[in-house]
Amino acid sequence: MSLPVDLKQHLERDGFYIFKEVLTPGELARARAGLERGVEITRELMGGTHIPSLDPNDANIRVNNLPGIDDVFIDLLMREDALQAVVETIGEHFIISNFTANIALPGSGSMNLHSDQSLVIPEPWLAPWAVNVIWCLDDVTEENGATRYLPGSHRYTKRSELPDDAEAKTLPFEAPAGSFVLMEGRLWHTSGKNRTHDEQRRMMFAYYATDFIRPQINWTLCLPPEVQARMDERTRHLFGLQPMANTRIGVEMTRLATTT
Amino acid sequence: MEVNRVLEMSQPVPTTDHQQGLENIARFGFTVVPDVLSGETLKRTHEAVYRLAESERARHRELEAFALDIGETANNQRLWNVLSRDPLFEDLVEHPLALAYVKDILGWPALLGNLSGNICGPGCAGGYLHADQMFMPEPWPTTGPQGLNVAWAIDDFTEDNGATRVVVGSHLRNCSVPMEEMTTIETVPMLAPAGAMVVFESRLWHQTGQNTTADQHRAGLFAWYTKSYIRTQENWFLALDPQIRQFASEEMLTLLGYKTTGFGMVNGRSPQ
Repeated sequence: MSLPVDLKQHLERDGFYIFKEVLTPGELARARAGLERGVEITRELMGGTHIPSLDPNDANIRVNNLPGIDDVFIDLLMREDALQAVVETIGEHFIISNFTANIALPGSGSMNLHSDQSLVIPEPWLAPWAVNVIWCLDDVTEENGATRYLPGSHRYTKRSELPDDAEAKTLPFEAPAGSFVLMEGRLWHTSGKNRTHDEQRRMMFAYYATDFIRPQINWTLCLPPEVQARMDERTRHLFGLQPMANTRIGVEMTRLATTT
Repeated sequence: MEVNRVLEMSQPVPTTDHQQGLENIARFGFTVVPDVLSGETLKRTHEAVYRLAESERARHRELEAFALDIGETANNQRLWNVLSRDPLFEDLVEHPLALAYVKDILGWPALLGNLSGNICGPGCAGGYLHADQMFMPEPWPTTGPQGLNVAWAIDDFTEDNGATRVVVGSHLRNCSVPMEEMTTIETVPMLAPAGAMVVFESRLWHQTGQNTTADQHRAGLFAWYTKSYIRTQENWFLALDPQIRQFASEEMLTLLGYKTTGFGMVNGRSPQ
């Protein structure tokens, strides 16, 4: 899939862009199967699938460390269309910070409104230093808990610019299954509530950040050795699995005497 | 006006008073804390640094080129992953006087980005002027430095033997060194006796000095600390000798990223 030529303008204006129905039916089925396995595995883990610090009740099912669960998720992270979209948003020097799933079941509630950058990066926020590629595994609608965003909020440079009625002004990202939402790190957003009786809303958050920002996940410890061993050089680099990390500036000129 | 203020400045007087040290860093960008290592401790640290350097050379593991150095690397040896090389170096990283500056300037938790060494010998041509947080796109945060370097003088740092040189007050510019000022702006040596700690914040423009002596070597160890959202230079989880982690204090585990929130998680939790 080729990127729209005016993607940069869209991002500057809106802070997001929706790539509709990117996955083929086969790719979508494979991703869904991988996630189902992820839910089963996560239920057996000590923390389980409910993260009380994020969600008000257990109708949100959270799955951490997707790349450690199934290679289908590494393939998704490394898709050329997603990577190109990331480069357009935050530049060529980035790494994979996190990849998690959030399944909203009927009755699920909403998180607190936040921008990904506001949580951890000091003000002022003048440029996007992170970006989410949100994979929709179901048709995502306002009713079933689409992520809600505050229009124009990617231009806020500090917290004090947030209006009092921010929550009320949010709009849903609606997209058909197999789409991804490209959302830059400064856009304020929250998870929607699933008000349906019988629909689940499966979304997966592939989070990329500029390469001087510490990744949310410690991939070196999280990814099983056999998963790391299967990776090619580029994938290992994007997961930050090499011994040297935040040394990009100058690294091209730095080498061991015994190497050429 | 900012420029005039810089011109009026001289240099901070070395001090063991922590509050005065903080004021020096705020005003000048750095402070010198004398006599932190002395006697047997300084002697053993000195020996450990030179033993490590010798071992690297003997095994041809020294760097041929480091981006920030000028000239022949034979005269300017870099040492990497120093924390893994001798438990003695742990004591520098978590020295209470060093961590007091880290906590007051960066907050806590903070991270150890790297512990590296640099031995500037006769003929050392010095390094390029830079600020340590140059990896950040500009404009830089207006909230102050995002990192802090604690340089340990293992030998006397003198003007002649390659003491690190700085542009006094340049941290107030809050930007990387503009190209046109790179070679023209005035620098002064950070003079420090062996055993001193030179604390400088991440926006201060500095460079390795030139060693014009016939026979002196000047070793320094550089403990680079950052706020906890910044990615470390060293991937400790891969590069660190496991015994350093095994016997590490709680503070050291925090500095290495084993005690964490928000970043560097494992199964949604802190690794330890």
